[in-house]
Amino acid sequence: MRADETTATQPRGTRDASQNGRQNGDGKRATRDHVVGPVSEFPDGSHRVVDVGGRQIGVFNIGGTFHALPNICPHQTGPVCEAKRVVGTLRATEETGWDPEWVKDGEVLVCPWHGLEYHIPTGQCLAFPNIKLRRYDVSVEDGQVVVHLRAKKASK
Amino acid sequence: MADTVVTESKRERKEPLTDLLVVDLDVHLHESPGELAPYCDPPWDVALENIKDRPETYLDIPSFSPGVSDGSYQAKFPTAHEGARMVHDQRQMRDELDELDVDLAILFPDHLLKLPVLTQAPYAAAVARAYNAWMIDKWTSQEKGLLGAIIADPHDPQDAAREIEKYADHPDVVGVYLPCAGIDPMWGHRMYDPIYQAAHDADLPVLLHSVTITHPVFPFNNHGFDTELGRHACSHTFSIMANIVHMITTGVVVRYPNLRIGVTEAGISWVPFLCNRLDKEYLERRRDVPFLDERPSHYLKRQFWVSTQPVEEPEDMRDLLKMIELYDGEDRTVFASDWPHHDFDHPMKVDQIPFPTEEMRRKLFGENALDLFKIDSAGRKR
Repeated sequence: MRADETTATQPRGTRDASQNGRQNGDGKRATRDHVVGPVSEFPDGSHRVVDVGGRQIGVFNIGGTFHALPNICPHQTGPVCEAKRVVGTLRATEETGWDPEWVKDGEVLVCPWHGLEYHIPTGQCLAFPNIKLRRYDVSVEDGQVVVHLRAKKASK
Repeated sequence: MADTVVTESKRERKEPLTDLLVVDLDVHLHESPGELAPYCDPPWDVALENIKDRPETYLDIPSFSPGVSDGSYQAKFPTAHEGARMVHDQRQMRDELDELDVDLAILFPDHLLKLPVLTQAPYAAAVARAYNAWMIDKWTSQEKGLLGAIIADPHDPQDAAREIEKYADHPDVVGVYLPCAGIDPMWGHRMYDPIYQAAHDADLPVLLHSVTITHPVFPFNNHGFDTELGRHACSHTFSIMANIVHMITTGVVVRYPNLRIGVTEAGISWVPFLCNRLDKEYLERRRDVPFLDERPSHYLKRQFWVSTQPVEEPEDMRDLLKMIELYDGEDRTVFASDWPHHDFDHPMKVDQIPFPTEEMRRKLFGENALDLFKIDSAGRKR
């Protein structure tokens, strides 16, 4: 099941696992907590896709807080976390006179395939209230970024 | 002979239309420059008087309703098709609607379907005011089931808003007509917000109606077609679709979430397409519409009522049920005849839809329209 999920991030035949660096040399899939690198490799404002127990997971550092999301867009399985940059988005409400304003700067992930937007801290899809990316716990332990594979419970 | 028997037995299975409330979202009275002149403000009354004896072709009088609408771009062969039927007074209208089993009807103009193409804004606004006053004086009658949609002239939205306020409480006025043929910019533009605000405040629905013309604004630049069939197939529907798309993507539906919007003379089969197409675009371009909290089809289903005419006539009339289902339209689909125009629908055709329930049949023929207009079955405002 897990392997299917990760390979589904690309259409069949467009890339193979080795090109993606998805090998699991140690085969430690049972481990829940995965060190993905030293904090110095995840500076503030950056994000990277890492392989964790055979899954591709995007790790984001926003203002010193870490977030981790699956690298698969629920829309058409695009590599959502491979976005070149994290951006903001536009909002328009009665309070703004229905004029657009730039908000959530540095917190919005735009899928490179079709442009669907997600709010990284919550996983919430901006276009569809019923779509939310699962979130993984991330912690920093002894200078290392650690991704915990049990998904966070969905919450606001 | 055999055909007649089949038809009659079909009819017997259903409640006759005479026992069913039929509300018709779209019938056309006939106005002329000479009739409007006494109702028109100076100096424009002089101009209307000046053209009152000009011969008219179908929906085409220079300086009043310019622009070809009668297929004049191609060869004309002899025909018995009555392509230019008109209704000239209230009594004729009531008699003819009785023949169609229509109980309540919403009146629209003939020539002034093309009001937006006039280039002189003060003249267009004066003609719209004259039409509204004349229609209420000569045509509308709640007792006779003839209800009016006043014209909102797009040239002068402030003036149109004043007209809406003026007639808001008139018992015969149940809607605001937004003419679509030749309009530029389209009805979503924020310059029209005073009209939406006034309609909202008056609790009157706005009603989109287009007509076939060839005109150098989108989507009426339809000179690319060899045939009137091609032009006519696209003109009404494309205009309605374009205006609805604009109203959703400019946020009219968010700024006026309680505004009720009726759609005439475009059939219904495009509605599932538009829902799906807009939702697909929304996936990629939500930022263009950062005021929408839901996918576009949500607003289309929430605020729009679509009328049947010209009703599609597929070989299997069950296809229509499927199409209605695709846009959740059981409560949002309304009968219209377009009487007396050349492409009018007799209600018998819509009654051939194999409605799964008598309730749905009643909704489509009348009850949904009562909701749209907030009137009772006698045409009284609720």
